[in-house]
Amino acid sequence: MKKKILAMIIVLAMVLSLGVATYAEPAPNTKVAVFWYAFSDAYLSTVRAALDADLEAAGIAYQDFDANNNQGTQLEQVQTAVTNGFTVLVVNLVTSGSADAAQQIIEAANGLPVIFFNRAIEGDGEEHTVLDANANIAFIGTDAPEAGHMQGKMIGDFLVANYDAVDLNKDGQISYAMFMGDAANVEAIYRTQYGVEDANAILTAAGKPELVYFDANNSDKYQLDPNGAWSAAAAFDFMSVNLAGYSEANGNMIELVIANNDDMAIGSISALQSAGYNLGDGTATKIPVFGVDATQVAQDAIAEDTMTGTVKQDAEGMAKAICSAVYAVAGGTPIAEAVAAVAESDEIFSIADGFTNKLFVAYAPFTGAAE
Amino acid sequence: MPKTNYFKRKQEEYRALDSLDRRRFWTNGLLNNALYILMAAFIIFTAIVNKNFLGPSSIVNIITLAAVSLPMALGIGGCIVLTGTDLSAGRVFGLAAGMTAAFLQNRAASKLIFERLPATTGGWIIAVMLMVMLAGAVIGLVNGFFVAKFSLHPFIVTLATQLITYGLILMFFQINGNGGGPISNVAKEFKTAVSGPAFRIEKWNVSIPWYVIFAIVLVVIMWFVWNKTRFGKNMFAVGSNTEAARVSGVNVFMTTVLVHTLAGALYGFSGFVEAARLGSVTAATGLNNECDAIAACVIGGVSFVGGTGNIGGIVLGVFVLRIIFVALNMLGINPNLQYIIKGAIILAACSLDMRKYLVRK
Repeated sequence: MKKKILAMIIVLAMVLSLGVATYAEPAPNTKVAVFWYAFSDAYLSTVRAALDADLEAAGIAYQDFDANNNQGTQLEQVQTAVTNGFTVLVVNLVTSGSADAAQQIIEAANGLPVIFFNRAIEGDGEEHTVLDANANIAFIGTDAPEAGHMQGKMIGDFLVANYDAVDLNKDGQISYAMFMGDAANVEAIYRTQYGVEDANAILTAAGKPELVYFDANNSDKYQLDPNGAWSAAAAFDFMSVNLAGYSEANGNMIELVIANNDDMAIGSISALQSAGYNLGDGTATKIPVFGVDATQVAQDAIAEDTMTGTVKQDAEGMAKAICSAVYAVAGGTPIAEAVAAVAESDEIFSIADGFTNKLFVAYAPFTGAAE
Repeated sequence: MPKTNYFKRKQEEYRALDSLDRRRFWTNGLLNNALYILMAAFIIFTAIVNKNFLGPSSIVNIITLAAVSLPMALGIGGCIVLTGTDLSAGRVFGLAAGMTAAFLQNRAASKLIFERLPATTGGWIIAVMLMVMLAGAVIGLVNGFFVAKFSLHPFIVTLATQLITYGLILMFFQINGNGGGPISNVAKEFKTAVSGPAFRIEKWNVSIPWYVIFAIVLVVIMWFVWNKTRFGKNMFAVGSNTEAARVSGVNVFMTTVLVHTLAGALYGFSGFVEAARLGSVTAATGLNNECDAIAACVIGGVSFVGGTGNIGGIVLGVFVLRIIFVALNMLGINPNLQYIIKGAIILAACSLDMRKYLVRK
């Protein structure tokens, strides 16, 4: 019995001490709440690390929240943060591209400044519905189609230069696999579309046939992470199954892999490696794999020669833009002016056409070691 | 004064105990109420560290959050009383939310899932509510049927229906060229009727949304169903001993089917509320929501042993989880640690709960 009481006291002490150990000192006025759609996202984790460091360096008190890919949880976290006296909200919306979800967050914010970032808050055909209708908000992100265009161009250029090496079965066509991260995400939709379309345009211009999706029975021409989580696991599973039926022995090997993000690219590389490809040892056949984000893992994979290319989504740049905007807004600068000042500060930032409160961070192609 | 007599009697009983029994009295008392003691300590600690925690707007916030998760917990509680569980709850919730959003889109919106639907009147809102509850009930019926007819464990039956329902959700989200995107543009009238303010407390600058009222009504109804109806009594009889219940003339098949059907209808209702609350629903809405509902029930003393639990406990469990959610955020605890602490609390609560039954045995 004594032991049990002791155990209980220890548990209680543990719970309480955890609370004390990580409790951030409240700053006298500014308290920034940063809401992430999912802590498990690889790219956003690099943004998070960069943003945490930037905010700390700026002496701004902040707290991170993990919505775990659930819009309801995120709304609840925002409501709770508002009752807890946060002064600036930075939101990485769960339901990407949903004006209504964004509007709910803004209403829950009760007039506090809200800086959305990374995940779109206005879908196709509803541009301006949120950003123009609300005074105290801004969006910092990327121009959604840009990464897709850049990835497509990179693939096209690569194939034109290495066509015969990539065409393993010498049938004159390149068969490709495509991994889509999330059916509802506008970035995913654009990447899935332009990654192939732009590559085809370059191939056609060079007199080569267009890419052929490896599985003639799949009319979607992509394989989708069923949980919309852009996950390496989903790509690994799909690719493992694909490789069981499509191989060099059968003469129908997948000769190119395009993934919406680096996580999925890495997942498909793992599957390829299990089948004896992309081992990076100089002898194994390398199937070109392209991703987007230029996460550290992908940069390492490119350096190890297991991956071919990715599009750099500038995590540090994104963090810097958010931090500068938060700093200015907390100091009382109107949000549009704060965003304009950020856009002036570096050439990788630009204000979106027709907006005053929408800031783009530029993408850059990445095929080599870290600069 | 019967109450004073009660205490007097207890006091006398306590005096009659020898020292060993006295010690047992206190340790048992402590352990059996450990959850409440821990929660009280946790609340006091949080309130000291962060005075916003017990501010009026924060308390209203906690009540609002609890109201959101109550209907699902009330439904799943019945399944647990039957020594079962329900893994399909989150997906049924998601399907109901998606259907609600699609049926109650703003008719003037440019992208409509269904083009020919009535205008958003009170009657149509109620019709949609009944429709999604019916959809949930049908899936619950399937769950209950397979559990009762083939004596399958609910874990496996509801795992199967969870997958099936997700498939249906994915198909539903592709209707009319939607292509799996979110279903948005929910009608204002619907939002006002469900998540709009039922009343405002001007002094504290807070409003209570309608769904809090709905949740209270549901709690009352479910309390009545569990405690005052033959169905409720049968449910507990089947949960504590299926064979004994069968022998004493309880229709086990019917009871099991009905418990799951009722649960399905309640998931449908919570999805209906979610659509109004979020204003936009995706295919992922509801993923893993059953986990919190199950945890709330178990924390509230609805035991997997079967045949035990009450509505008050479920309400308490929901509040405990919500208080933990709010408090951990208010304490500024790193989200990585929040999952660990939440897991530890559930583990501790369930261990303490099981201890009661082990001792009794």
